Amino acid sequence: MEIALIGNPNTGKTSLFNNLTGSYAYVGNWSGVTVEKKVGVFKNNIGQLIDLPGVYTLNPLSKDEGVVTSYFLNEAVDRLLNILDASQLERNLHLTLQLLEFEKPALIGLNMIDVANKRGIQIDASKLSKILGVPVVPVVARNGKGCDKLVDVIATKSIQPANKNLVCYGQAVESAIAAITGEMTAKTNHSTRFLAIQYIEGNEYVRNYVNHIADQQKLTSILEELESQLLNQYDTKSLANFIYTKRKEVIEKIVAEVARKGDATIPLSEKIDSIVTNRYLGLPIFLLLMYFMFMLTFDWLGTPLSDALDGLLTGPVTSGIESALGAIHASAFIHALILEGLVAGVGGVLVFVPQIFILFFFISLLEDSGYMARVALVMDRIMESVGLNGKAFIPMIIGFGCNVPGIMAARTIETPRERLLTVLLTPLMSCSARLPVYALFVGAFFAGHKAFIVLSLYVLGIVMVLILAKIFSSTVLKSETSLFVIELPPYRLPQFQSLWRSTWDKGKGFVRKAGTFIFAGSVIIWLLSYAGPGGLEVDMDDSFLAAIGNVIAPIFAPIGFGTWQAAASLITGFLAKEAIISTMNIIYFVPNDASLQALLADFYTPLSAYSFMVFILLYIPCLATVATIYKETNSKKWTAFSMIYAFVIAYVLALIIYQGGRLIGLV
Amino acid sequence: MFESLKMGDKGKIIDISRVGKLVQRRLLDLGITEGSEVCVKCVMPFGGPVMIESCGQCVGIRRKEAVQIEVVRL
Amino acid sequence: MIASIIIGIVIFGYAGWALVRFINKSKQGKCAACGVKDSCSSQCSPIVKNK
Repeated sequence: MEIALIGNPNTGKTSLFNNLTGSYAYVGNWSGVTVEKKVGVFKNNIGQLIDLPGVYTLNPLSKDEGVVTSYFLNEAVDRLLNILDASQLERNLHLTLQLLEFEKPALIGLNMIDVANKRGIQIDASKLSKILGVPVVPVVARNGKGCDKLVDVIATKSIQPANKNLVCYGQAVESAIAAITGEMTAKTNHSTRFLAIQYIEGNEYVRNYVNHIADQQKLTSILEELESQLLNQYDTKSLANFIYTKRKEVIEKIVAEVARKGDATIPLSEKIDSIVTNRYLGLPIFLLLMYFMFMLTFDWLGTPLSDALDGLLTGPVTSGIESALGAIHASAFIHALILEGLVAGVGGVLVFVPQIFILFFFISLLEDSGYMARVALVMDRIMESVGLNGKAFIPMIIGFGCNVPGIMAARTIETPRERLLTVLLTPLMSCSARLPVYALFVGAFFAGHKAFIVLSLYVLGIVMVLILAKIFSSTVLKSETSLFVIELPPYRLPQFQSLWRSTWDKGKGFVRKAGTFIFAGSVIIWLLSYAGPGGLEVDMDDSFLAAIGNVIAPIFAPIGFGTWQAAASLITGFLAKEAIISTMNIIYFVPNDASLQALLADFYTPLSAYSFMVFILLYIPCLATVATIYKETNSKKWTAFSMIYAFVIAYVLALIIYQGGRLIGLV
Repeated sequence: MFESLKMGDKGKIIDISRVGKLVQRRLLDLGITEGSEVCVKCVMPFGGPVMIESCGQCVGIRRKEAVQIEVVRL
Repeated sequence: MIASIIIGIVIFGYAGWALVRFINKSKQGKCAACGVKDSCSSQCSPIVKNK
């Protein structure tokens, strides 16, 4: 049995999904967290649950909303689970009415009753159930209250809607519906009434579908006739508007019967809003929060933890492995493979786990609290001036964690041009995999100003986004249309448990990658550095790795790091950015206690180190990101463009910084 | 006129048809249309977006769209 | 000696397997980033633009 979970954006669909299936999908407090349908299996195995992106209506405006409509048209769904936000019943019921027209078994989960009660709204669930003709179960999706009952109802009851045709659209529309359904008889498995109404409303997806199965010309003439008739007869602007009004009338009646309004207390949310979205304080508060986040990640908390972990790895762990290898009389080859390859490569990445988790914790906090949508609001003026949209800032902040989900989050942007622009520019956001590189280099060269230097790189990424957005939007991606309407959800106090899960969910990928890809990469890199044309155990400078690196190293000489070591690590960095750090750990492997940081001083100056970090920040996105860009844009041209422009910008900027820095006397 | 509303003022929308089609659709999705009561919560500086509240939910829209919405003060 | 050979085979075998899997996954792009990919039976198909 396939059950589709559907509802307005930010009503708790994904929370409910997680509760019902026992899985853990991505939850946040802004509209449009889910951009792709997700499938999970119910805890008690009664069937599959499909989490769909939130929509206000089945008539889509953006790409993520289109997912829902095409799901309804193209896939077999057995039951609908509609989740309603009790505090916004009027708006939510518009979707419900359309779903009931779809004439599939349905039931309703009434969520956020607590929020509604705080606003002084009391809802009679049984009365609502009677009017709509489907079961209504009150739930609290965040903590799972009522979920058991919901599952019982899904599993046992027959939930075929009892009341058909809740909305009567008036004589003119009804006769047009009859004419259109007549054209489609026996040609589709879907409810013909549903298709007819959506067709009249102007749903592009449905129009495409209907035009395939029925006579297009006849339908168009019915539609035109209806339109002229309605516009003459009533004071209405369009067919869609007329249908909306009819639904609204029905909804007002329903709400009047089931909801009671009492006194509301002024929500805390509004008090917070008066500060964080304050005219003058909004932007400074955002920047201050970001600065605080970086200080905590790099100075106050993250670095001491990373150092402790590093001490553990280079100390007890290494000596433990050494004695174990000695005990089994391992050969010199195995000895070197494990200590110089694996411990150096994988360990070098693992020591940054604390910093990455702290960063992810903050991103989760931003997402969960509801601040994210406010950031989009605060940033919109700046983004608009470069041809972007405040909403583009959400993918970019997510991109700080990992570019792949960031690029996917761009789907909530309604206009194709702004979406493409956001997809192309999100890779410039410094993802967590680039963070170890900075951490290593700032530790070696800028010990006094760690957080400041790293923050400067993040800001550089954002500044480049703004500049490039301006350039692209006034050259290759010209268009006037822009759309910015954003829902600002009420703040909620994030629960520690969900915050931790969300942090772990993002961070575990990093740990897993260290155990799989970084492990494999370390073995290969080590082997390439251990072997050379002259045989095994050659001097590192005569190894295969040096030979490969030397081929492209001259390209990087003008920007300050024309060594084969830097070149080799940049190549591996295309596969995954963390690989840069493990490659360096292997290449610059030093036994004893001499740390990598001290050794780096022989190869880099502070200036060339900064130039190197800037290059890492901007050069070609990693393989997974490139693949995602291709999937999202569906265009080889734009994918190639995203790689080429990034490389060019990285090179030019590093050149300016390095050569410019030397001119003014920096080293 | 939206411009005449200041922070904290309440108004009722009487005409929304001059606003762009897409924005109009999205506002309609959110339940904001002719006849809706709105309250201006916040106005961002430098011609930035405004935050309006209607039926207990907050929505951010751009200034240039907001000024095209006809409202009467309540 | 035998221990060395076994360790070597295990490490290189695992490394090869992990590498192949990683490259395949990266190429899939977004499915790799999906929260429920283990229990997901639908291919996250790219959505065709409606215009």
